[in-house]
Amino acid sequence: MNVVFAVKQYISKMIEDSGPGMKVLLMDKETTGIVSMVYTQSEILQKEVYLFERIDSQNREIMKHLKAICFLRPTKENVDYLIQELRRPKYSIYFIYLSNVISKSDVKSLAEADEQEVVAEVQEFYGDYIAVNPHLFSLNILGCCQGRNWDPAQLSRTTQGLTALLLSLKKCPMIRYQLSSEAAKRLGECVKQVITKEYELFEFRRTEVPPLLLILDRCDDAITPLLNQWTYQAMVHELLGINNNRIDLSRVPGISKDLREVVLSAENDEFYANNMYLNFAEIGSNIKNLMEDFQRKKPKEQQKLESIADMKAFVENYPQFKKMSGTVSKHVTVVGELSRLVSERNLLEVSEVEQELACQNDHSSALQNVKRLLQNPRVTEFDAARLVMLYALHYERHSSNSLPGLMMDLRNKGVSEKYRKLVSAVVEYGGKRVRGSDLFSPKDAVAITKQFLKGLKGVENVYTQHQPFLHDTLDHLIKGKLKENLYPYLGPSTLRDRPQDIIVFVIGGATYEEALTVYNLNRTTPGVRIVLGGTTVHNTKSFLEEVLASGLHSRNKESAQVPSRSTRKR
Amino acid sequence: MASLDDPGEVREGFLCPLCLKDLQSFYQLQSHYEEEHSGEDRDVKGQIKSLVQKAKKAKNRLLKREGDDRAESGTQGYESFSYGGVDPYMWEPQELGAVRSHLSDFKKHRAARIDHYVVEVNKLIIRLEKLTAFDRTNTESAKIRAIEKSVVPWVNDQDVPFCPDCGNKFNIRNRRHHCRLCGSIMCKKCMELISLPLANKLTSASKDSLSTHTSPSQSPNSVHGSRRGSISSMSSVSSVLDEKDDDRIRCCTHCKDTLLKREQQIDEKEHTPDIVKLYEKLRLCMEKVDQKAPEYIRMAASLNAGETTYSLEHASDLRVEVQKVYELIDALSKKILTLGLNQDPPPHPNTLRLQRMIRYSATLFVQEKLLGLMSLPTKEQFEELKKKRKQEMERKRILERQAALEAQRRLEERRSDLASRAANGEVVSLRGGPAPLRKAEGWLPLSGSQGQGEDSDPLLQQIHNITSFIRQAKAAGRTDEVRTLQENLRQLQDEYDQQQTEKAIEMSRKQAEEEDLQREQLQMLREREWEREREQFQAASLHTRTRSLDFREIRSFHLEPGREPRTHFAHVLDLGSSPAQSSAAPKSPSPSSALEPISVWSGPQALGQEFFPQSTMSQQNEVPSLNLFDEEDLSSPTAEGTTSPLAAEPSFGPSAHILKEYNPFEEEEAVGNPFTNPDSPAPNPFEEEDEHPHQRPSSPPVPGNPFEEATCTNPFEMDSDSGPESEEPIEEELLLQQIDNIKAYIFDAKQCGRLDEVEVLTENLRELKRTLAKQKGGTD
Repeated sequence: MNVVFAVKQYISKMIEDSGPGMKVLLMDKETTGIVSMVYTQSEILQKEVYLFERIDSQNREIMKHLKAICFLRPTKENVDYLIQELRRPKYSIYFIYLSNVISKSDVKSLAEADEQEVVAEVQEFYGDYIAVNPHLFSLNILGCCQGRNWDPAQLSRTTQGLTALLLSLKKCPMIRYQLSSEAAKRLGECVKQVITKEYELFEFRRTEVPPLLLILDRCDDAITPLLNQWTYQAMVHELLGINNNRIDLSRVPGISKDLREVVLSAENDEFYANNMYLNFAEIGSNIKNLMEDFQRKKPKEQQKLESIADMKAFVENYPQFKKMSGTVSKHVTVVGELSRLVSERNLLEVSEVEQELACQNDHSSALQNVKRLLQNPRVTEFDAARLVMLYALHYERHSSNSLPGLMMDLRNKGVSEKYRKLVSAVVEYGGKRVRGSDLFSPKDAVAITKQFLKGLKGVENVYTQHQPFLHDTLDHLIKGKLKENLYPYLGPSTLRDRPQDIIVFVIGGATYEEALTVYNLNRTTPGVRIVLGGTTVHNTKSFLEEVLASGLHSRNKESAQVPSRSTRKR
Repeated sequence: MASLDDPGEVREGFLCPLCLKDLQSFYQLQSHYEEEHSGEDRDVKGQIKSLVQKAKKAKNRLLKREGDDRAESGTQGYESFSYGGVDPYMWEPQELGAVRSHLSDFKKHRAARIDHYVVEVNKLIIRLEKLTAFDRTNTESAKIRAIEKSVVPWVNDQDVPFCPDCGNKFNIRNRRHHCRLCGSIMCKKCMELISLPLANKLTSASKDSLSTHTSPSQSPNSVHGSRRGSISSMSSVSSVLDEKDDDRIRCCTHCKDTLLKREQQIDEKEHTPDIVKLYEKLRLCMEKVDQKAPEYIRMAASLNAGETTYSLEHASDLRVEVQKVYELIDALSKKILTLGLNQDPPPHPNTLRLQRMIRYSATLFVQEKLLGLMSLPTKEQFEELKKKRKQEMERKRILERQAALEAQRRLEERRSDLASRAANGEVVSLRGGPAPLRKAEGWLPLSGSQGQGEDSDPLLQQIHNITSFIRQAKAAGRTDEVRTLQENLRQLQDEYDQQQTEKAIEMSRKQAEEEDLQREQLQMLREREWEREREQFQAASLHTRTRSLDFREIRSFHLEPGREPRTHFAHVLDLGSSPAQSSAAPKSPSPSSALEPISVWSGPQALGQEFFPQSTMSQQNEVPSLNLFDEEDLSSPTAEGTTSPLAAEPSFGPSAHILKEYNPFEEEEAVGNPFTNPDSPAPNPFEEEDEHPHQRPSSPPVPGNPFEEATCTNPFEMDSDSGPESEEPIEEELLLQQIDNIKAYIFDAKQCGRLDEVEVLTENLRELKRTLAKQKGGTD
């Protein structure tokens, strides 16, 4: 169930099967991303792969002494490129691996193009998704829906990605979906269709309890992607943005040249692997330790290496030191930038109010706090808008809803129209009317007592009170208590036992906070393995883009304003 | 058996986990356990075992995660963990995901397409061969024509009024010309010519590909031929008025095209660029390192431990050899890097990129492996080491013997306990020795007496404190407190026990020595005993006295080495745990073994001084400039490099002075690379290895598949299998295959309903059969 490993294994197999000799890896735009998530260049170099080329790049030279490993998505475009390539082969021999199911007719046209008999292998290797963490994958699709329905192109890409994931993990699952979302049902049906069509591919060794695929929709929980985050990975994504493990630091003031773009990959960065799920305070102290450790190992300029012991110490530490120096400078820069942003944008205070809006039900205090922060000049328009969005989502139907007043405040603050429009768009996207389940007020007795107790005890950390809605959903699922009327099975058969292998897919994108939740569930729940996926992995910015792309606000602008007006009258 | 005097009393030392019996030493505990509990109480054993296995499992998982070799995709599924959740990083290894091959489909389609082409080419080649088989210049033209006509039936002149290619009408001026290869008709303008050298090249190449190897002497010829061929074909288009073409064969454009394509393929196959040759050498060197390095490391480790399994000279020879290979790798990759740099026009950027990447990976390789090469002791050091080792072995032997003896003694003791006190003097005298030991049996008095000398040991103090706490807590009746305290105590004891084990070993060694002495004395005593029975008691008491004196000696002795190496060693221990150190850890408190490595380190380094600084410098020099992907990857080899840093480090000694100035943050810093020095040409590495590249199979692997026969019938693809045979049988075989091929093709065409194709094919088939029959007639 480790998705990073699954993809990595595919790539290793490709390289292994091509035998010894100099090799070039021929990829398309998407597979380049897929490969780069699981392999570093130096790792792949050691397997005699020396060049990385894009199939669509025009200025490739004829190098008959190289073997070509092609890892491509089987799109029409790529097949055409490949046909051209085979007609005039640039390399001595071709090993073709397609990341998904390819049609028979495409195979035929490829075969007919191979007049010089340079193709030695044609296989489907289902590494058709971005493996972010061992338990988290993404398809890097931003804006998957038009209104409430799928963009057809994205639906087919998502279906491909999801079926590829199932194949790479060798799972033939039962499917459950969120009833309130038409898109979830549609995707479920598409996946089912593929499973039926390619039944011989999906014939795996039966497990006692069949795996489960749960399809959810982002609109059921629009709160989570709107919150500021305080664990390392999530925070970096929220404040700096992670794109295929790469972080763009070029906007950081006074950044050095080699740190413009850094890579954070748990696969080969020990510090990151150990700290990605820790919160900011802990990272601060860990980075301090790292620094001290580093200082200790750092060879001192003036220190004379006189005795053999000195030299020995130096040389022994040198490789570690060198490795560390890269890690240290990278993380120190990243964490430094994070803390700069936190203080510059007054994020501690903002986050506290955000958490209050998300987790507590005290309307007047929340309103007061939001109003107070809107007056604060240090709060950016982005954060101001997000506070109002959270307020709007939570107190959408509250009797004394004062959203219009807050909107006025936003306008007075000088928040651009784009953001103000987004407030209603977010409500339209994830408001009460859309949600299938209740985000804010738990219904069953256990949950109420839990919340009550929580209120009594006080919270441990104000900034991380929020628990994504996904947690409850999965918790219920694991305990076999997830309601079938809200999350029905696709098809007649249902699961008797509690599920063991679970794949959750969030249409409209997952978040790193949810990834953390799943990570923790994996660690604490015996015998259960959960993999989380989404059309993308969101931070607030990308989530707002997603909302914008769905085009909901323009169509429903009036209807969104109607209830607010009516509440004002009351 | 479990002599629990006070259930509340805390006992420490070598307690048997099953019967709580206190045993003197680790060895005894072991033997006791084996003797007495081997059969009973599977539960406890099972528990312990499962614990150990769990730990092992966890460790394996960890290792697996870190290790690169995760690809061992065995069929073992994952077990679900019943006792708790698992970090996704720790999920059990999984098998390779689903795959589906389209190769057979692909080959089927391709074969259908290609067969036609292959048949066509083969046909042409066979005819061409016949056309060139006789001496053209010395044969009359009429005869030539006859032969030519026999090779392929010429199309009737009357059937073709216009040139099929350009459409011009044939007449007296515009005469018809027959293609000698397919028999078709075209006009002079559309006619092409094939020069004899080209024809020879084409036909001989097909033969060559059937025999084992192309001899290098032949290739320049053929290249020459091809050039001439193309020139002549050019000139032929312009104007060749004379009808006589002794050294050329007329043919149509189609046949010529097909043949030229074929020629290109042959050229590509024969041509190996320099980079490939160098690269193959480079890989050979790397393989050599992969073979030799582990062997050397094994030797060096054994030599450094003072063992005499390997000879020092041999090891140092090997070391030099390995280092030579490293140098070679460096030189080769350097050469690859600079390939074609002075050419005009400069090579394609991709070529340069390829060269850089090869160089980079070679550097990584050297970096990674070189760090793992430990140094060897010098001769003197080795002698010393050997001596040490001998001593140690001696000690170990004594230790073992002593342990055995002790065990025996304990047995006797027990027996003698049961036996009446009325024993003869011998027995008493025997007991005289062990008497103080018995007192010490609880281990407490012993450790207590040591505690006086070793007040510095905080563990012990802690243990004492806690013990007293427990006693107090017990007295107060606070049971839960007692429990937590006991838990603490157990942990402390574990720690302490480990320390004690070392000490105990030391102790028992001393005891053994002392016992030897005693036994000697006893021997003497025994001799006198019968004569002087009375004196015997006195002697026994004397023994006890010497014994106690000995104890003091042990203590002081123990203290000295315990402290001295530590101070001596302080820096070493502080330098982060090195694997070698930790592996030595169980031994390290015993003074001699701990001193051992020191002598290695401090000694002057005779070997490797020349090579290491150079190569390390060049690595560090190269790495930053080639850093293309991720910063942290560069250091990935360091993980391996540290595996034996203790032993490897002395060789860095000399280099450290240079390194000192090297600040890793200023990566651009230029450091002279020793290999750029043109004055010191390394012994040419290519001479000695010339025969290797030939042994390397350069042909691509032919994957086995059901359609292989179809591709194999292409005579040009037929690789070395047939071996060096005479031409005739090969051709026959070829023909037979060709016939099969065509038959299959006819079948296919029939099925597809392409009747015209069937016709052409049957024609082909007939022809082939004819040739075959003729040939058979000829050979018979």
